Amino acid sequence: MAEFVSVGRSDEIAEGEAKAFDVGGQEIGVSRVDGTLYAFSDICTHRRCNLSMGGEIEGTAITCGCHGSTFDMATGQVLAEPATEPIATFSVRDQDGDLQIEI
Amino acid sequence: MPDRRSFVVVGGGLCGATAVATLREEGFEGRIFLIGGEDVAPYERPPLSKGYLRGEDTLEQILVRPDPWYKEQDVETRFGTLATQLDVNERAVVLAGGERLSFDSLLVATGGRNRQIDAPGTALPGVIDLRDLGDADAIRAAVQGGVRVVCVGMGFIGAEVAASLRTVGCEVTVVEIFETTLFRVLGGDIGRVLESIHSDHGVTMHFNDVVERFEGDGKLERVVTKGGRSIEADVAIVGVGTEPVVELMAGTGLDQAGGIPVDPTLQTAIPGVFAAGDVARHDHPVFGPMRIEHFDNAIKMGAAAARSMLGMAEVFDDPHWFWSDQYDVQIQMAGFAPAWDRMIVRGSLEDRSFCAFLLDAAGVLRSAVSIAWPRDVRRSFELIRRQIHPDQAALADPSVDLRSLVPDEG
Repeated sequence: MAEFVSVGRSDEIAEGEAKAFDVGGQEIGVSRVDGTLYAFSDICTHRRCNLSMGGEIEGTAITCGCHGSTFDMATGQVLAEPATEPIATFSVRDQDGDLQIEI
Repeated sequence: MPDRRSFVVVGGGLCGATAVATLREEGFEGRIFLIGGEDVAPYERPPLSKGYLRGEDTLEQILVRPDPWYKEQDVETRFGTLATQLDVNERAVVLAGGERLSFDSLLVATGGRNRQIDAPGTALPGVIDLRDLGDADAIRAAVQGGVRVVCVGMGFIGAEVAASLRTVGCEVTVVEIFETTLFRVLGGDIGRVLESIHSDHGVTMHFNDVVERFEGDGKLERVVTKGGRSIEADVAIVGVGTEPVVELMAGTGLDQAGGIPVDPTLQTAIPGVFAAGDVARHDHPVFGPMRIEHFDNAIKMGAAAARSMLGMAEVFDDPHWFWSDQYDVQIQMAGFAPAWDRMIVRGSLEDRSFCAFLLDAAGVLRSAVSIAWPRDVRRSFELIRRQIHPDQAALADPSVDLRSLVPDEG
């Protein structure tokens, strides 16, 4: 059953930035855009690069720093190739400064 | 009413595959033919000099789309088949074997082929050039157990092959015509940073020298250079550039050595006939006429050409971007600067962690090159595309967000 898991402090996520957390062996990226938090699989479906490292955020789009694949962090959909498979997305919340992801 | 149009895409590489995918994504319901000379679904070529060459990636992992995708999307494929003739008057393409495909719109994405080196002995077993899957398989088979390799040419392919084969335990020697690695693309200062990285990994490099001949009794045994060197070798990998595959355009005047000329919407002088990817010489609004051989360009141009075929043409003004992986180092580059007036470095060449900005004499940013500093290459796209004269102190200062140097549009 899905439950919210604390992964860190929500103030670790600066506006327009992404950071990866290891949640039970899954690498999950968390970003903040216009104050809203997004959580998504940090592993690009093209060549398995970490999106949070070298990735560029513009609106809710994150572009992989390796080969340019772009995903919507809200829905996981591919916005630009070379990736063709979407990334998983997760519910995320800020509980009084505690950053929690639903797994 | 059903869409009775028929679109033909010649070229079974990344560009052609992306074009057919874009046609379907944009809602085209007519017939689509995809013709490819290799008897395999389109695959990505970058891993051929890296992960695939080292035996880390499989063919399935490097396919642009999984094999069944083409049938699912109702794309009629002819893989392993060359298109041999374009009949402009009848608007048809003739395939080897005689099949004739009429088209309402045609995209030529036939890519490039490797330039051959003009030296005796290139036919000896052990002398290989790398372009396709078969070449990569041949190199993998030839280097089993760690052998002595000579890389002829230290451009991106030569440098990546040298790094990959060094990583799997080969003894690697380089013969390069210019004064350092990647000199023609990156210039001396950055080229020498890469040279030092290869040197640290134990690659022996001979610069300002070229191959005179390949020697051996029944197979390659040594590479002899014009500079008088004789290098014992089991395998030689030749990487001295490519030329566009333009033969399909014979008789149209568009089969030019510099690539098939296209306008900024990727259309040739023949209405309804487009060219994209490595084979196209496109008229770039910022850089002028140019032929680009990058992965990202194959994707973006393929998609743009598909939209042009559908009457949704836009000017193709992508600033061009590519990467190269060598050992644990990633190089990225955006823009185009065959010559530049000034180089501003953010970070440190010595520490092998920097983004270098190349400016022309008027102070316009033309290109950005990074090692282990990819973010600022991506952030320079808009500055390059809009031909901005950025403040040079700001470029050098890592605390300045490059996006703040882009003036508001309007």
